[in-house]
Amino acid sequence: MLKGIRLTVPSDELMLETVQVFVESVGMAGGVLPEELTSLSIAVMELVRNGMKHGNRLNPAKPLTVTVDVLPGRISFQVEDTGSWQPDRDLGHRPGEGSELLDDRGRGILIARNLAKWVEFDLTPEGKTRATLIWPLT
Amino acid sequence: MKINEENKGTVKVIRLSGKVISGPDLMEVKTAFESAVNNDFRRILVDLGSVSWMDSSGLGVLVSGHTTVSRAGGRMVILNATKKIHELFIITKLITVFDTFNDETEALAALEG
Repeated sequence: MLKGIRLTVPSDELMLETVQVFVESVGMAGGVLPEELTSLSIAVMELVRNGMKHGNRLNPAKPLTVTVDVLPGRISFQVEDTGSWQPDRDLGHRPGEGSELLDDRGRGILIARNLAKWVEFDLTPEGKTRATLIWPLT
Repeated sequence: MKINEENKGTVKVIRLSGKVISGPDLMEVKTAFESAVNNDFRRILVDLGSVSWMDSSGLGVLVSGHTTVSRAGGRMVILNATKKIHELFIITKLITVFDTFNDETEALAALEG
């Protein structure tokens, strides 16, 4: 089992591709099927981008950390920013409905939840926002 | 990500390739739509056949382009959306907004029809 694999990056969108490559590499090493790697990385990256943008306000001085644990039958990704926001409450946006269908933002959590099926948000003991995504290994 | 533009008659063809990921590159795509409309193109074809990865930011730029073109009285269609991008269109219900084609001749005919 691989536990506690961690990547910390500045909250700069220029780092997103680096994180995306990390997610797919760890996913592959952890046993995610090759045909699922893109879906996995899209789902995780939606959480990463939200953390950078809404939690850290794209401030490069504020770090964003992705921690990966490969567990029996599943792989866990935890994304922590330095904010104390609550994504489900603060992004109370329904981009798939009504006039918001044509909004040009706000689809990240919808996509992450549909691709990954299991996405939760909570606060760390220090009060920082943490998103957890569980990907089943088949 | 790379953007390649070409004119086919009255149609502006915008071809995207590589990873369509949040950041400065996406502004270039948005500008490409606005520039096309400002140069009197009202028929836009967006080819996604060489896009290897796209997230919600990429979808947002496509929506923005669609809105820009529609407000100018034009039409935008999508060509060669990969299976994964098509899945994102379904998840976000954008499948009800975008007209998608897998054949360029058909897409051009639809725009010119």
